[in-house]
Parts: sequence; structure tokens; C-alpha cells
Amino acid sequence: MYKHWILSLLTAVMIAASTPAHAKQYEVGGCNPTLPQFPTIQLAVLSVPPGSTILVCPGTYFEQVMISQPLTLKGADVNNQDRPIIAASPNGLAINVTSITGTQVAAQVLVENVTPPGNVILTGITVDGSLAEVPLSCPPAALAGIFYASGTSGTIRDMTTRYQQLPSCGYGIWVENGAGPNQSITVENNSVHDASWVGILAQSNQTPPTLTATIKGNFVNGLVYNQTSDITVSGIRGTITGNVVTGGLVGITNAGTDASPVTISGNDVADISIGVGMSFGDGSTVTSNKESNVYTAFLFGGSGVSPGPTVAGNTTQNTTYVINYNCIPNVTVKSNTFNDSEFGFLEIPPANSGLGVNTIDNIDTVQTSSCP
Amino acid sequence: MSRHLAWFFLAVAMLVVSAPLQAVTYEVGGCKTGASYVNFTTISAAVSGVPAGSTIQVCPGVYPEQVTISQPLTLKGITFNNSSRSVITINNPTGAPLAPNVTSIEAGPVYAQVLVQNVIPLGSVNIIGITVDGTGGGAGCPTLAGIFYASGTSGTVNEVAMRHQLTPGCFFASGNGIWAENGASLNQTITVENSSVHDFDSTGIQAISEQFPSTLTATIKGNFASNFVDVTVQHDRAQGIQNIGATSAIMDNFITSGSGNTPSTANLFGVISYPDANDDVGNVITASGNTVADLYGYAITSQQFGDTAKSNKLSNVYAGLVVFFAVVESNTVMNTSQGYVFNASNPQCASEGTISGNVVNDSSLAFFGLPLVQIQKNQVDSDDVVQMSPQCP
Repeated sequence: MYKHWILSLLTAVMIAASTPAHAKQYEVGGCNPTLPQFPTIQLAVLSVPPGSTILVCPGTYFEQVMISQPLTLKGADVNNQDRPIIAASPNGLAINVTSITGTQVAAQVLVENVTPPGNVILTGITVDGSLAEVPLSCPPAALAGIFYASGTSGTIRDMTTRYQQLPSCGYGIWVENGAGPNQSITVENNSVHDASWVGILAQSNQTPPTLTATIKGNFVNGLVYNQTSDITVSGIRGTITGNVVTGGLVGITNAGTDASPVTISGNDVADISIGVGMSFGDGSTVTSNKESNVYTAFLFGGSGVSPGPTVAGNTTQNTTYVINYNCIPNVTVKSNTFNDSEFGFLEIPPANSGLGVNTIDNIDTVQTSSCP
Repeated sequence: MSRHLAWFFLAVAMLVVSAPLQAVTYEVGGCKTGASYVNFTTISAAVSGVPAGSTIQVCPGVYPEQVTISQPLTLKGITFNNSSRSVITINNPTGAPLAPNVTSIEAGPVYAQVLVQNVIPLGSVNIIGITVDGTGGGAGCPTLAGIFYASGTSGTVNEVAMRHQLTPGCFFASGNGIWAENGASLNQTITVENSSVHDFDSTGIQAISEQFPSTLTATIKGNFASNFVDVTVQHDRAQGIQNIGATSAIMDNFITSGSGNTPSTANLFGVISYPDANDDVGNVITASGNTVADLYGYAITSQQFGDTAKSNKLSNVYAGLVVFFAVVESNTVMNTSQGYVFNASNPQCASEGTISGNVVNDSSLAFFGLPLVQIQKNQVDSDDVVQMSPQCP
């Protein structure tokens, strides 16, 4: 009898322990009546316990969403559809966050002041900026599809952002961190297209950087004939790997401070003016990328500190310029394959050029324009 | 003494044996001179004037020639004086410059800028580091090819650049980059790798065999096809890489048709494979590790039963993968109108085969013609409609 009592108690404890796995699921949109339901995403993210998962049914949600606790917001696959869309309200968007650079941003999905500290995970949802209206002049104000503000961390995976198109201020995904503990944010396997200014932005204004970003496996298509930078990082540590980046003005940019080494590897970059631009970033590596149909494959700027970036094992084809050194020394360029370009190396510095052995074919003029 | 004599003869014999190692270098263009060089003024004179198996170095410069290669050799562009571009051009861009010099097993007379044909003795013809520019070659609407490997030939094309094979204003598009084919002949092997093919209006790289089993094994690897357009009256289709009845591995290529290039209908193809005119089935392709983007049309299309499409990345295209029946694994498709289209007229739909581990994100329609049981082996996100398959359970 006593043994049975112990067993039933154990069973009750096991049930209690396993209950939260079910209780922590909530739902928006009415497609899964077995779960606790909320009429809007905003109400759900405010109301659920920290750490919950909120399933969002297919449909269009005209909302501006602010998330301030750790949770997972996940698109549901129901009735042959799996596209929940967070769309801009016809009444316009409110400015809801000021970035570390002072820009006032109207974010369609904002992650900010997360209490208790923890990860916010977004997955399987489309954030559509069509017809978005921002109350302040733009720029300097801005529109962002998804914005992770200072002090937040988490993952943006299998999301779509599209049509953040206000002139010169539309951002697809924007993550940042200022002063405070270091944060890690992963942006992976997303489709980011038709943003007018930047597809994916990750930035920190601290030295050493307080943000580690992993930007991986995304497909970013810049707005054709526009000034779009597809992936831009500034002052962070991190990796930009395995992305497909096409269209716009600049493919992948590392700007910011010298002490912000970034790995740019295995990306495919095409149909763009500047493939990879490195303004700063000593110790950064640019390896095993492919660039095609690009005006300038690599552009360098910044202070030229040693050690500078290393460019190795990349392949470029059908370019006008392979590398514009901009007279910056200490850039190591070796073991690359450069084929089919009008010019090879522009403004290569007279000393410490770092130019090693590369495979060069079908280049009209290998070196052009000297530096003072 | 006799021992000294023996040593002497041995030394002479060694000199004779090693002499070929100090053979002359064959060169075109005049950038390399001296006793160890034999110079030719044209590529055509060189390819017919050197011994079989030679390597011909081509200096940077412009060579307005139509070249026919009929013996095994290597033609290689070199770097000299700050340039590494040796470019073969149309003789006279303003006139009717080319002669039809080969009849294709598939497409009739072809005007090839560089033709590899009737190679005797049998052996490989390798073309490395050369640019072939077709500017002006479209006058009179010929079927134009930058490099053409005719039936019975083999070899490797590496690090070349093909450009401006265009037929503007013609009714049908017929500007082609690299063309390899084999008819009723011994099996041949042709590799096209690491090459840049751009600004053409028909096919960037193609492999054709009309035999069953296929007599052509092609490896098409690491090439970049870009900026292909349709400038013809008919708005015919244009494709980056095409396989007709050959057995081909098409891998790690990077294919884009250029930003803003949106013809009136979705008639651009990244990789397309279909049976030959005899409808021989069984000559299959494996398309793996390719990236296809920015193309108003179809990224990878397989009309051949038994093809494999694996680990490709397809983005910003009208449709990702269009397949009749194939192994379709681990591909990622984003930003499309249609993700994966299967042959819904097949009574069983695509209920057989391996169709798993694929990702489709951000598509108006994720799967067409694929049974639900197959869809569940794949990952879908942010698609307006997951499945459209009226005939499929």
C-alpha cells in the first residue's frame, strides 16, 4: 500500500513536471482550439508566461508587435497554409525605439527590455512592410521589419521580411547592442528581400564589441536599382556565412571599429555594384566566397592597421574591378581565383600591399591607378 | 679506357633522352621571344602547326580569328605586361564575319568561333584562360557558339570567359557560349569548369548526346553564368546550363541572369535537362551544390526521369525546382512564386523517389504535384499555399 502511494506520488510529480511543456504553448488566430488562444499577437506576447511558445496561425495581422519577455513566436502550418503575415497597420506605424545611433525607428516587430533576461526566438513568420507609414521624416527616422534592441538576444530563423521600402530608410532585420553585457543573436535561413536601405543590419557602438552575431544561410535580395546594402555589420564580432546575396548596391559590408573582427565565408554574391566592402575590421577573414556579375568584388577602406583583413580562397568572375584597395595597406590577398575582369587591382598601396599568389585569368589590366 | 667510353656513350644517350624536356615552347602574339620559343602570328596557324600534344601559350591581345582545332593540344592564355586577357573576337564586327563550320547533331549548321573537330590522333583538346568574345557575330542570325566540341572529341575547358554571344533582333535566340556534343561514336568525356559565361541569349553551357546509352559524359563544375538575356523577336527561352540526353554532373555552378532582367514571360532557365529528340530516357544528370538566383523563370528544370537535384540553393526566381521524377534532396528555395513543381500528370504523382530534407521558405506556392506524405519529409515556412496537387492524395 505504501509502495503504491509512493508510485502514485511519483506519477503525479512526473505529470506535473511534464505539464509545462504543454501549458507553455499558446495560439493566435484560432486555428488550434486545443491551445489557449489570444486574438492578437501583441496580447499574446504580453500575457503568456516567460519561456512560452506562441503559435501564430496563417493569416494577416495588422499589428505592431513589442516583445519584452523571453518566448518563441512561431508560424503554424495549418490547412495547407503556413504564412502568417505581420503587416503594417493602415493607420500607420508608431516610432517605438531609438537605436544606439540615435535613429528613431518604427519597428514592426520590436524586441526590447526583455525581463527576465532570455532569448526571444522568431520563426516561420512573414513581416511585410508594404504601405507602411512612419510619422517622422525618413531619414533620419527609419522603418524596420524586425528590431532586436540593446540588451536583447535570441534567434531569427526561417522568417521572411519584405517590402520595407521607405526611401533610404527601410530595413529588413536590425539587431544591435550598446553598453551592457555581451549579447548573442543568430539570424539564419531567412528570406530578406525588397528592403530599400539595408537587408540585415547588426551593430554595436562599444569597444570591444558587445554583440556577437551569427548571420548564416540567409537569402537576401536587394531592391533592384536602389541603394540597398544587403548585409551590413558594424562594430561587432561575428560570422557571415553561407548566405546568398544578390541585387542592390553593396552585398556584404563590415564597417565600424578596428577591433571588430568578422568572418565572411562561403557566401554567394551576385548582380551588385560592390560585392564585399570592408571599411574596418582588423583580423577579419574573407574566405571561400563566390562573386559573379559584380562591378567591384572587394573594396577596402579604414585605417590600414596591421594585421588587416585576409582575403583567401575566393572566386570572382565577370567583374569590372576585382579589388579596389583604396590605397589601404596590410590587406592579405592570396590563393584566390579571379577570372574575367576588366581590371584586377585598383589603387594598390606601394608598401605592405599583402598581395600574394592568386590564379588570374582573363583580366584586361591587372594593376591600375597608383597611390601617392 | 673502354669503361670511360661506355660512360661517355651513356651520357650522350641520357642527353638524347632528356632533350624533349628542353623542348621549345609554342607561342602566339610575340610577347615571349628567344631561342626556346617558336612564335606564331595567329592562333589558327599555331594549332595546325605544332606537334600533337603541344601546349600553345597565347599572349594577351586581340585575335580576330575563327579557330579550328583538329589535333590534341592545350591552348592556354598567359599573363604578360600587366594583362592576362587573350581574346578571340569576330574577324569583322560590322560584316558577315563567320562561316558555318560544323553541323550539330541537334541544331543544324553552327558558326563556331573556336571549333574542336576531327581530332587526329585521338586525344584531349584543352582550352585554358582564353576569352571568346562574340560581339558582332549575331549578324545574319546564325546559330553562334563561342567554343564547340564536335562529335568524337574530348577535353577540358577551364578558366575561360565567354561573352556577347548574342543575336539581337533575330526571330529566335541562338547565341551560345560553350557547346559540347557527341553522336554515334565512342564515348567521350568533356569537362567545363571554373569558366565565366555571360551576355548570351540562348545557352551558356550545354552538353548534348542523342544516343542511348549516352555517348557523352560531361562534368560542368564551378562555372559562373550571368547576365543572360533574351534580345530576340520571339522571346525564346535562354538558359545557363542545358543538358540534352548526355550524362552530366552539374555541380557548384553559380547562375544568375542579372538584376532587373524581366522579359515578358518567365522564360529563363538556370539548369535545364531533358531527353534528346529520340526521347531516350536514362541519360541522367546530377545537379548539386549549384546556386541559382535573380532569374525570371525556372531555376532547375528536369524533364528527364532519374535525374538528381541535391543541395542546391535557389533564390529570387519564378519557380525553384521543376521535376518529372527525380531524387530531390536537401535543396533550399526562397523567395519564389512556386517552390517545387512535380509532374502531377504522373498517376502516382511523385509518391515514389527520394524527396526529403528540402526547405521552401517564402513562396506563393510551396509544392505542386507532391503528395502530402512526401511534403511532410520537408520543411516549409512562410508560404501562402503549401500544396497544390489536385491529382495527388
